Parts: sequence; structure tokens; C-alpha cells
Amino acid sequence: MFRGVLAPPGTHVLLLGNEAIARGAIEAGIGFAAAYPGTPSTEIIETLGRVAGKLGIYVEWSTNEKVAFEAAYGAAISNVRSLVAMKHVGLNVAADPLMSSAYTGVRVGFVIVSADDPSMWSSQNEQDNRYYGLHAFIPVFEAYNPAEAKEVVKFAFDFSEKHKHPVIFRSTTRLSHSRGPVTLGEIPKIKSKGEYIKDAGEFTLIPQVSRKLRVKLLEKWSKIREDVNNVPFNRIEDYGSKNLIIASGMAYGYVKDALKSLKLNDQINILKIATPVPIPEKIVLKALENIEKVLIVEEIEPIVENEVKRIAFENNLNLEIHGKDYVPKRGELTIDNVANAILKFMKKENLSLPWKPLEITRKIEIPRRPPTLCPGCPHRAMFYALKKAVSKKKINPIYCGDIGCYSLGALPPFKAQDCLIEMGGSIGLANGLAHTTNQTPIAIMGDSTFFHACIPGLINAIYNDAPTLVLVLDNRTTAMTGHQPHPGTGIKVTGEKTAIIYPEKIAEGIGIKHVDVIDPYNLNESIDKIEKAIDYVVNQRKIAAIIVRRACALLISAMARRRELRSPKYQVMTEECKACGICYNLFGCPAITPKPDGKAEIIQEQCIGCSVCAQLCPFNAIKMIEKGSKGWDELWF
Amino acid sequence: MVLKSDEKIINLIVCGVGGQGLITLARIIGITAVKKNIKVLMSEIHGMAQRGGQVVVHIRIGKPESPLIPHGGADVIIGLELIETYRNLEYAHSNSIIIVNNRIIRPAIPKVKLPREEEILEAINATNVKLIVIDALENARKAGIPIAENMVMLGALMATEILQEYITISDIEEVITEVFPENLARKNIKALRFGYETAKQFKI
Repeated sequence: MFRGVLAPPGTHVLLLGNEAIARGAIEAGIGFAAAYPGTPSTEIIETLGRVAGKLGIYVEWSTNEKVAFEAAYGAAISNVRSLVAMKHVGLNVAADPLMSSAYTGVRVGFVIVSADDPSMWSSQNEQDNRYYGLHAFIPVFEAYNPAEAKEVVKFAFDFSEKHKHPVIFRSTTRLSHSRGPVTLGEIPKIKSKGEYIKDAGEFTLIPQVSRKLRVKLLEKWSKIREDVNNVPFNRIEDYGSKNLIIASGMAYGYVKDALKSLKLNDQINILKIATPVPIPEKIVLKALENIEKVLIVEEIEPIVENEVKRIAFENNLNLEIHGKDYVPKRGELTIDNVANAILKFMKKENLSLPWKPLEITRKIEIPRRPPTLCPGCPHRAMFYALKKAVSKKKINPIYCGDIGCYSLGALPPFKAQDCLIEMGGSIGLANGLAHTTNQTPIAIMGDSTFFHACIPGLINAIYNDAPTLVLVLDNRTTAMTGHQPHPGTGIKVTGEKTAIIYPEKIAEGIGIKHVDVIDPYNLNESIDKIEKAIDYVVNQRKIAAIIVRRACALLISAMARRRELRSPKYQVMTEECKACGICYNLFGCPAITPKPDGKAEIIQEQCIGCSVCAQLCPFNAIKMIEKGSKGWDELWF
Repeated sequence: MVLKSDEKIINLIVCGVGGQGLITLARIIGITAVKKNIKVLMSEIHGMAQRGGQVVVHIRIGKPESPLIPHGGADVIIGLELIETYRNLEYAHSNSIIIVNNRIIRPAIPKVKLPREEEILEAINATNVKLIVIDALENARKAGIPIAENMVMLGALMATEILQEYITISDIEEVITEVFPENLARKNIKALRFGYETAKQFKI
């Protein structure tokens, strides 16, 4: 259902911003695409993966963003147009090849999609990756809705190929996760095979080559600075005003809507910017003719603003320039906050916004609703077993967390992610904490995260003797971003089968002597084996690894629904329940809810039959009342 | 692409809890609009919100240039859960229509204190908004598809006729038939119709 990306040319369909980006790349004739999943970028490669076979495009989930970048760059230097996509923080992981790619350039179109996350809806920071463009000498393109995103991405490939230079397309959550009408264009012949032509070592960055390429890069950059003035998505809307608003990327839509709501449309000139880096200087100068006052509207950092101020200074323009003094420097833009900035800019602060939020006299206190581990989530069972084992062993643990669904273990009832900074940070931080404290680091990482960035840290912990308990929560998928396969699953992005790589084999292979595999649905055995591993770490002062293996409950329950397999049914026996609240408060399963008398009740529509609550109930009050269908158990393995 | 021009933008907020099918509801409206050459922009929160967290979808129909609705800018709030509806009332104005599913879903927080259903409904009722209260779960069960609370709520939205300039309930039914397998489509349409009939009984 809902497939629109491959509808015939000329039709218009409702596309998600990320689908539109994918379609733009298809219309540019890419032959190669790679990525590591990360919100809000994931659907770009998911979309391409679905149509890869049909169109003959090579698409892959790579183990991390650096590998994805290098793979796609490899394609682009062997004459195959390629795309690499990642979330903003993913570009930090790929920053090393990014910087080098500007020195060597590429042979055909190469577009790097960075999906930034203003407001941090699902990220650890709010970095503005347009800075990478300035830092690396790589042009940055932006768009303001899905329809334009498709066109800009397509254009970016031609621009990249023309200059033999990588191009960044910067999306944001609000673009990647908006839907809008997109008119589909023609799909050219796809070229997924090229050839790597060896010539004067231009791709071999040894110092004597790099010094020459640095000179070339600066020359190239001045040509690119000139050529962005020809980008059709940069344009001036001239209403003969003395006031100008410059809007970059998504800001343009908010500016248009805010002006309309304030009844100021067609009264203030607008400069729409699609290439914030490098700034289209000639267009800016043209837009500034006869202007007295400028407001720059852009999300997060004042990148265009700084450039406009520089241009005004260098050209002796006597202008009043506003930007981040009126426009928020943190969080997403909205029509409201842009409208407020415009009112300040027009010195109409006495006017109020045209929208009047409902006034409610009776205030009710309502609870927050943080995201939570799903009913039956194996991570919940694991955290419960871990906390039990730790309290029995009376150790002083440091829970070193990582990025994934299990990050939610930071919240009550478990509060077991004491430090959590980035992908791979769990074992990374343990490498310091193990040496500088008398506490026991417990590094908690997911399966996809293990492959992404944990293996070098793990090797370091063995090499440098950092006694740590390592828990690899192997739920057989990259769950948080929406169930992408990874090297441990034996499945590729296209659904094809491939080799399965087992974390326990890697752990044994690099020399960890205490390696165990547990099933978190088997509560007592899990507690017991975690205790043994803690003993080993504390007594032997060495590293122990436990692979906690049980497939993601969300994934399996969806599979069970599709195959019409019923899960086992559990029920709380009212007479035996003592209303202790362990199941709904300490275990915290959302499928268990307290009745007015405090006794527990299972919400049957939500329960997936994992049995863990029945195992941990001290009064044996939770019982299986109906077995699952034949074949249900097998779904999990 | 041919767009109708200069119509008023209609702003819809759909809110509730991850897993209630809010995004499907919104996509059906979006696909229907695009099919009829009507411009629509919508935006949703993905990622961590899917894990039982709060979800808000903004839908703008008419001639929007940007996807987010300002506070006080929603013509309709479609609330699939009471706490989330109350949380998002800042999007409403005094003439908004609020269609609410009469149900509280407990956030999985240890020892969480919940408001009472009537308390929330009374607070909304004390304002001037036009309130439509629907038992979506009951209607969806009646249609033989308990998870289709979203379709019941979509039917209720169509009963308000706020979208009638642009799309009708039969346009929606056509799209449901196209995007779901036959058996599911039939049940979903039944749920949609129940929502429509129930909401029609409210004088707004």
C-alpha cells in the first residue's frame, strides 16, 4: 500500500520528503546508494532499497556512515553516480572521508544527504551541518518542500558532475518527514557499472599530492562560488520594497505563510536561498539594491546571516541587518516564531499575531508521555534481570549507554544509562571509567550499534585491560529507526540473504574469555548468568561479554499478525494478586495497568505473551490461560 | 499540476499515542487531496515517538507553503486520546471543532497519576469550541476491526463537512479501497461509516 515513488512520469503523488529525495536521485540516474539508518534520514535508502532490483541500482545498508560514505565515494570515482545519506551526527562519523573528498573531487555526480534535526526530536544534538560545507569546501543545497527537494537533488547531481566535486544536500526533520504533492519526472537509463581509471594519482592523498590539490580546491571553490549564482532555486521576489527578507531552505515556506497571515505578502522583498554555502553573492548584491533593512531567516546557526554581513561590509553597504537577534537560534522554525520575528523587524511589535490560542480556565495536571519500551520488549526483561543481578552482587555499577531503543532504559523504572553520548560510546567510555574508578562499568549496546562503532572500543578494552561487563542486546534488527537489517541478521536492504555475523564469535575471536549468550525471556537463567559474568569481571579484572538474544517484540508481533498466529494469553488472577505493583511499576510493562484497587490487569490487545511478568510475579498471580498458535514460538528464532 | 487557487487553508491537527494509526489516517487524507489536485502539506513526528510516545500530525489543505500549524491555528483537532487532546489544545482557537476519542491511555510511568475522563471533557466543554465525543474503540469493534479507531475518527471528521469544498467521504472510501487489501478495506470503510454516523448526531 501507499507506494507512489514509481508511479508513471507526469503523475503527481503524495511523497514523504525522504521519498522525494530518493526519487530525485532516481531521476538523476544514480547507480549506487549507501547509508546507515538514522532518524530523520532512514526512508531515503529504504525507498531506494525497495526499487533497487527493479531499476538496477545498487543499494546497501552499510555498517556505519563512514563506510557508507567511502563506498558511495568509491562509486563516484569509478564513474557511477552515487548518493550517501545519513543523519546529521552520522556526518561526524564520516567527516574524515568527507574532508578528503573535497580535495580529490569526484568523476561523476556525488550527493551527500545530511538530515539535520532542529529541535532534537530524535537526536543527541542540534548541529547545523551547513558548517561542514564551509569547513570542507563543499557546496550545500537546501529545499523547502518535498516537490522542490526532488528537483534540487536532481539538480545537485548535475552541479556535482559539472564541477567534479561532492555536493551536500541538507535536509531537516521537517523536510524529511513532511509529505506533499510531487510531480514525477522521467527516469533515465540507470548506469550502475563504471570503471576506475588510473591516472596521475589524483586520488592518492599523500602530502605532495594534497598540497597541489589544496591549490586546485581553492580555484575550484571560486568557480563554484560564481556558479551558485546560476542555481535557479535561488531567486528574488521583488515587490519594490525597501525591506528584504532572506530565507534559506525550509525558512522560505514559513516566511511566505507568515507574511500572508500578517497581511504583509507582496509588501516585503524576498530572497529565497537554496545554496547557503557558498552564498550566491551576486544574487545577494542584486537583492540588496535599494534596500535599507534586511531580515535573515534560517534554522539554527547564522550561516547566511554572517555571509550577508560580510558582503554588506565588503561593499560598503549601509544596511540595518537582523537575523538571530529576532529569529530563534535553537529549535525548529514555525510560522509563529517567524511571524514574531517579522513583526519585530517591521517595528510592529504592538500588533499581535493573528492566531488566538484557546483560553482554558480550568487547568488539569496531565502526565508526560515519554516514549517507552514496547510491551514484550526483550530490553525490558534484560534491564530487569540486570538490575536484579547487580543488586544481588552489591557492586557499584556505571551503566554506560548507547544509541538505540535501549536508550529508553535511562528513564524510570530502570534508570540504567548513566552516561550516553553517541554511537559506540558505551564501550568507549568504559575504556576510561574502568581505569579511573573503582566502580564496574557495564557497557550496554545494541546489535546494530555493536557492528557500527563498538568493535574497535572492545578491542581496546581487551588490549588495555579495562575490566568491563559488555552486554550486546541482540534483537535481530536496527529497531529504533524502524527495523532495518544489519550484518547480524543475514539480510540485505533489498531482502536478499547474506552471511550472518555473530557478535559472540567476534567477542571470542578477539580474545574475550568469558562469553555467554542468554535469552532475556528466561528470567532466572538470565539473572544467574549476569551474576556469573559480574563475578568474573570483579574477580579476574577482565572483560566479559554477554549476548542478550531475543528478537524485537514489535517486529515479531507484526509478523505474527500477518501470518495470523495468536500469541499465548496471560491473565492476572484477581484473588492471588496482592496489588504489589511490581509488574506495572518496577517492571513497567505498558500492557499491564493497575485497577482502582491497585491490582494488576493485562490489556489483552497490547500483550504479546512474552511471559516475563508471570515469571517475576512473587505471588504467581499471572497465569497462561491460552497457548499460542503452533508456529508462534518459532517466529522468534 | 493544476491547483485550485486562493482557497482558505484548512488546518487539521491529529494527535494521540504512537501505534494508534495517526499517520495512516493523515496519509489517507493527503493521498485523497493529491488525487483531487488539491495542494496539501503535512508533517509528523517519527522516531522515538513511535514507542508509545505522543504523536502529532499537522495537515494543511488549500495553498500552504509550510507544513506546521501555528498555536491557535487549527480548525479541527482530531484527538485519538484524551490526555493528548488536552495537551494539544494550544493549537485550537475559540471556533475550532474538537473531535475526541473518549479514552485515556495510561503512559507507562511508574505510579503515574491520571486525570479523569470527565474532567478533561468538562474543561474542553467550558470553552466555546464545538466538541464531538466519539467512542472510537466501540465503533471499531462493531466494524469488526478494533485497531481501526483511526478510521472511525476520520469518518467523524468527514461528518463535520469542514473539508466538503475539497473532499467528500466517498473520495476517502475510494482511496481506502486502493490502499488496503480488500478484506481490510471493507472493514475500514465500515469503521469510517460508523464514525460518520455517530458524529452526524452532534449538532455543531
